[in-house]
Amino acid sequence: MNLGARRMTAVGSEDDAFEALFTAEYGRVVGIANRVLADPHEAEDVAQEVFIDFHRLHSATAEYAPAWLHRAAAHASLNRLRGARRRQKREAAQALEESDHTLDPQKQLEVSEDRRQVRQALGRLAPRPAAALAMRASGLSYAEVAQALGVGIGQVGTLLRRAEAALRKEVTRGTSN
Amino acid sequence: MAHLTEGTLRRMVDDPDARSGADAAHLEGCTECQGRFEVVSDDARSIATLLAVPDTRVDVGRAFEHVMSERKSQPALGFRLPMLGPTNRPLKLAFVAAVAAAALVVVAFAAGGLFFQPTTVKTVPVTVADMQALSQLADYGTLTWTKEPQFQATTSAADASALAAGLQPPVVANLPDGVSTTVTYGAMSEAVATFTFSADKAAAAAARQGKTLPAMPEGMDGATLTVTVGPAVGEIYGNLNQNPSSASANSINLPQLIVAKSASPTAKSTQVTVQQLEAFILAQPGISKELKAAIGAIGDPSTTLLIPVPVEYATSKPVTVQGVDGVTLGDNTGVGSGVVWVKGGNVYVVAGSIKQSDAIDIANNLK
Repeated sequence: MNLGARRMTAVGSEDDAFEALFTAEYGRVVGIANRVLADPHEAEDVAQEVFIDFHRLHSATAEYAPAWLHRAAAHASLNRLRGARRRQKREAAQALEESDHTLDPQKQLEVSEDRRQVRQALGRLAPRPAAALAMRASGLSYAEVAQALGVGIGQVGTLLRRAEAALRKEVTRGTSN
Repeated sequence: MAHLTEGTLRRMVDDPDARSGADAAHLEGCTECQGRFEVVSDDARSIATLLAVPDTRVDVGRAFEHVMSERKSQPALGFRLPMLGPTNRPLKLAFVAAVAAAALVVVAFAAGGLFFQPTTVKTVPVTVADMQALSQLADYGTLTWTKEPQFQATTSAADASALAAGLQPPVVANLPDGVSTTVTYGAMSEAVATFTFSADKAAAAAARQGKTLPAMPEGMDGATLTVTVGPAVGEIYGNLNQNPSSASANSINLPQLIVAKSASPTAKSTQVTVQQLEAFILAQPGISKELKAAIGAIGDPSTTLLIPVPVEYATSKPVTVQGVDGVTLGDNTGVGSGVVWVKGGNVYVVAGSIKQSDAIDIANNLK
């Protein structure tokens, strides 16, 4: 095999590996972003950006690929959550969607207010606990969250607890005002 | 046995692996931990409800096509910052020139009897022509080190701090994923340099290049400018010799992250005023309109650290870091980004082959 042909094969197998990685992880990456943003379209935007970034800098055969993607999804979506303009737009869209299938208007209003508050508060948390919570809530195992954040599995519980206690406090304070 | 930690209790809520062994036995027999477990479980449940979203259905095939078409529209080399092109000689030279220009711009505007001590940072756009014009200023006099800088690389924060007159290396709260935890500390001792302007040297330098020298302000011949830089300490993350075989030909063999803190540079001058010196520098042949306009727009040059940003390669924008104004360079692609700010008499820099958002996160959480 000459050098040119070998290179073609290498490029081909890298593309194949990327497609396999994409197929295996795209749904999970969207899931993490959607858990943070509560907007499937924006979550797909984030997921695609994450994959483009990954493909530009890393090999799809790298062992750390899934962990990198999960963490990037959590951080990219948390960053978006912090953007004021997008937040307003998203909330408007979310309110509209929820009003389509409202059963009890008063109860729905309360739940939607809590959801809004919890996401606002999520954007204010320290990056690591917030990312841990987004990943775990989207269904990643403790081991996967630990790997994505580069921490020991024992620390995941601590990060989750910290995030949940802070969010619970914010929501409780918000509703008691 | 000590009571269970909150983290352990939290794991027991929904990690089957955590519900066995000594911890589980402790929970079984400890009413205090049982009470805390209830609180932790309640919080976990209510937050899970609030974060719940309807299942999303994704079209993986379509998304893949979209990503592949976007990917192909990206430049083959993602270089946006000159410092990221070690294999690209002109870019590297441009960066060196930019650093030289930075030093000169800082030094130049420090002059005029004003005591220069920056409290904020601003970027100014520079072109290759600007850098050439500014670097020739170095031929207009003589530089002497009153106190030469000493550099040291060490694996211990304490050693670095000792060389840097007790300045503590900043502590990164959360390293972005993928950044190596291998850390090398670096330190630079305080350094003092004096530049003495010489009318003869300036005339000779201009003659060599076939250029006419702008009129020198009165008193500039023999004027001195004394600049103090450092001490400085920093951390370099990543294996400096690493060249992962998995990386593509575009890969960049650079430290993944550099975090540094330096006492703000200070400067004092004799014989010339800041206005005179500013006019003289901006009159150098080759200085672009953009740089003139940008420098003209700076309010008080004695409190602003100017960072030259090559217009062709880098993007920059103002950012608030730790409650103060700073600047960020680069973008969110992960190719390279940096944040610079001045706080409490120190200049801080966070830079590396990381995303801009990560650089800002690190900057905001730097202790």
